[in-house]
Amino acid sequence: MDSLSAATAESFHLLFSGDPELWIIIFTSFSVSLRAILIAVPVAFVVAFLMAHLRYPGRRAMIAGFSAMQSIPAVVIGLTVYLLLSRSGPLGDLKLLFTQTSMVIGQALLALPLLVALSHAAFQAADRRVWETSVTLGARPVRAFLTLVHEVRFGLIAALIAGFGRIIAEVGCSMMVGGNILGYTRNIPTAIALETTKGEFAQAIALGMVLLVMALLLNGMLAFFQGRGVMSS
Amino acid sequence: MTEILRYSGLRKSVHGRLLFDIETLSIQARACIALSGRNGSGKSTLLRIIAGLEAPDRATVCYRGQEMSWRRASGRMRGDIIYLHQQPYLFDSSVTDNIAYGLRRRAMPLTEISGKVSEALEWAGIAHLQLRNARDLSGGERQRVAFARARILSPAILLLDEPTSNMDSESRNQAYRMIRRLKDEGVSIIVATHEYHTIAHLCDGHFSLQAGGLQPQPTEPAGGERKVIPYG
Repeated sequence: MDSLSAATAESFHLLFSGDPELWIIIFTSFSVSLRAILIAVPVAFVVAFLMAHLRYPGRRAMIAGFSAMQSIPAVVIGLTVYLLLSRSGPLGDLKLLFTQTSMVIGQALLALPLLVALSHAAFQAADRRVWETSVTLGARPVRAFLTLVHEVRFGLIAALIAGFGRIIAEVGCSMMVGGNILGYTRNIPTAIALETTKGEFAQAIALGMVLLVMALLLNGMLAFFQGRGVMSS
Repeated sequence: MTEILRYSGLRKSVHGRLLFDIETLSIQARACIALSGRNGSGKSTLLRIIAGLEAPDRATVCYRGQEMSWRRASGRMRGDIIYLHQQPYLFDSSVTDNIAYGLRRRAMPLTEISGKVSEALEWAGIAHLQLRNARDLSGGERQRVAFARARILSPAILLLDEPTSNMDSESRNQAYRMIRRLKDEGVSIIVATHEYHTIAHLCDGHFSLQAGGLQPQPTEPAGGERKVIPYG
């Protein structure tokens, strides 16, 4: 118990003394996950919109496919990206394995099915009159799409937060394709896993607190963006 | 009168059932036409096709003297033929932003937009609502915002889908006055309704969608004399 208390006290010291090793891990984590979400979000929103807006053969299968892909374990995505990027893999010549880029690719792929499924639900629930009103008032398709995004923004922000929450805390994929290299590809979850196995709880607790605060902040932001929290009349 | 738009061989089926097959539909400048028919007869669908929002099975379009496919025409007519839903949709933003929406799509200078929006707000009698979120307005106020939002684009044709349904008498009269003013400003108007008698005083012509065809109906002018305006 004493050692746990000491580790907790040490974790606060690490956080507030500006320990460079700790803050580089935090920075890496956010940098990689933000880049991944920035890549995945536009793709997911466009795919989800097309699935909700157009009628074409295979649409239902596509919706079911993205829904099913949400359950793919992070390590399986990590393994797939690893095999693709490894020296003997089809993309081995790019020499991306054990880089932040490979982590971004892995996390973007991990977030994509969840983002598509949740944003499709938001677009599907949108009022068709939004699109029609935009078009009849002279908006071209891209502008009408952006108007629709604005009208369903709370659902899309919820999708974005859920997607970010999934990748910022995942271990398997980042560990496999990033390699957990200190100062380069070591992020919060992989550092927590490593430090815990080493019995170095102070850094693990400090990083865990960062994750916890971030999760609370993200959910608080969601509640704030949802504003009045009432049904529209 | 000058013809703005003509549809020939306009056919539409829904789930394999023929909704209508109209030989010719001609829309003249400055005319106000009532389109009546039973529920499910295809009034709204016809308006949405004319507006370029829903594709017909087949049709030839002659728009401002040029023959073209419906698809091409729908792009050309954007912002020039405006469709107002039975319950107009207002974007989740201020009344001013709603009214300025169409002008912003035309890449107009902001000062010019601002002037036109102020004028539109005055026209519709909603200047006092300009900063309110459009979602917070009553049904009648929403209708006025929708009319102002359409009028600001100076459309050639305005398509109104049951514009006074579910309205109280005061809001109805307000809507009639706005339709009258739009007509006086030279906008061609088609009003879908299942209560022709309520808008007869505004209309120059009356057609009914019956048995898949567009049938001219006698109009009921204020003087009581009945007349039939031919179409096509």
